[in-house]
Amino acid sequence: MKLRRNIYAKENMTGYLFILPQMLVFLMFLVYPIFEGIRLSMYRINYQNEKFVGFENYMILFNDPVFFKALINTVVFVVFIVILTVGFALFVASAVFDKNARYVSFIRGSYYIPVMVSMVVMSMVWSFLLNPANGLISYFARDMGLGAINLLGNPKTVMPVIIFVTFATNVGQAIILYIAAMIGVPKDLFEAAEVDGASRWQVIRKILIPSVKPTTVYITIINIIAVLKIFVVIQLLTGGGPNNASVTLMYYLYNNAFKYNQLGVASAVGVIMFVITLLLSVPQLKSMLQDK
Amino acid sequence: MSQIKNQKKMEKFDIVSNVIITLFALLNLFPLYWLVTSSLKNSSDVVKMPPDWWPKSFTFSNYVDIFQSQPALRWTFNSIFVSGATTVLVIVIGSMAAYAFSKINFKFRNIIYVIFVSSLMIPKEIMIVPLFRIVQNFDMVNAYGGMIWPNVAGAFGVFLLKGFFDTTPNALREAARIDGASEWRTFTRIMLPIVKPGIGALFILNFVQVWNDYLWQLVVGQEKLMKTLMVGTATLMQDLNPNFAYKMAGATVAAIPMLIIFILFQRYFTSGITAGAVKE
Repeated sequence: MKLRRNIYAKENMTGYLFILPQMLVFLMFLVYPIFEGIRLSMYRINYQNEKFVGFENYMILFNDPVFFKALINTVVFVVFIVILTVGFALFVASAVFDKNARYVSFIRGSYYIPVMVSMVVMSMVWSFLLNPANGLISYFARDMGLGAINLLGNPKTVMPVIIFVTFATNVGQAIILYIAAMIGVPKDLFEAAEVDGASRWQVIRKILIPSVKPTTVYITIINIIAVLKIFVVIQLLTGGGPNNASVTLMYYLYNNAFKYNQLGVASAVGVIMFVITLLLSVPQLKSMLQDK
Repeated sequence: MSQIKNQKKMEKFDIVSNVIITLFALLNLFPLYWLVTSSLKNSSDVVKMPPDWWPKSFTFSNYVDIFQSQPALRWTFNSIFVSGATTVLVIVIGSMAAYAFSKINFKFRNIIYVIFVSSLMIPKEIMIVPLFRIVQNFDMVNAYGGMIWPNVAGAFGVFLLKGFFDTTPNALREAARIDGASEWRTFTRIMLPIVKPGIGALFILNFVQVWNDYLWQLVVGQEKLMKTLMVGTATLMQDLNPNFAYKMAGATVAAIPMLIIFILFQRYFTSGITAGAVKE
């Protein structure tokens, strides 16, 4: 009896020792910052001192038109980028998944390479391509008789351009996920469809899309979260401009924290974003933890 | 009869889609083509209109310039060191935790695991203010420690590797235990070698992710010599130097290691990215 309890205790001990290092960094750099962020959002923070101000920082946010601009822009980004990504990736994956392996890996590779080389590098290239004075795109516009255009300097075109650049850079991951999911769909489903004389369009609509629904949910969630924290492309292409037309929540947070030294306000933005992320990720986490 | 008609329509739809997709794929690669070729042009050719689709005369002077006028060598070292050290730490502590969650029966194991995995979706960027203050308190701003530790904290490694440990037979561990091997020995000598493919996938995914990390490294590495290649390269955009070829050379230097890694390890990406998202 005592021996048995000893074995139990020892197993517990070993388990805790194995997870201890991960646990420590996890608590220090992930859990603690969450609570610290919530606390800071209720303080006014100057260089040296902190003063408790309750919900004043949140009131400041709700009275700042730039915050609402950032919120609306972020929602617009999320909606358009997610729809474009899911739609286009479904189109690509459903058309190529059953083709020969080399072609599939060519498609996968050419859409994934921009993801690999990072948003920083891609933003730099796009900034060059879109440069009003000497960019290739501006040259084409002039060549086609559209006159001098400045797509990033125009409040009407800046959002569509950034949506497109972000979409084009990131869609590769969704394509990889969809192709993998579609390759996993049982073959007999397609064979049955063929016997019944189903068209490819029917196969895609009735078999493929329903079969990859869990992947669609996953892609939607990770993309919402990725777009929520969109930053590089804004900093390198527009700096939030013109006239705050392209400012996002993440960019707003960064400016408040590291330019205007409004750490309390920045923390409040962080808390709002944290709540949004948490709500979004609940369904995905459920499925990740359930079907093991 | 209608079946044949259907078949034909199906083929036509398929052919058209694939042509479009291939064209788009090539179009998608065009910015990268433009990046690399621009970086090889001289400062006047790069902004010439109409453009040269292929550099008239190749020059490597932009690359020489980057490494001479900017501490690009140091930035490269910083990136390699930070990405490498982060990844090694993630693998060491992540594999230990993953092994415990998969094979050792300890109290509250499932609850702790759920808490770990719940953090997967939370981007550290939104906690950047408290995170920065913590790092500041440790005196790790402008130090490698500050650039590395917050990146180690995420639980993705644990999640990915647990999936691999779960596929290994429990009998192996029991046999090793009966033979008198300690838990640690069982873990390092028997279990770790079996999950090598998982460690490979984790290494590459994590290395690339830290290499491409921007916002955190921008905030924590403020001194010029403590910037990573991504952050350093991005500062070229604010540089007064009007030579675009020079900026493109910087971006190319930041991109090339990733392109090489992708070409060498393509299959790891598919297996790593799809872990947790796609059930096969």
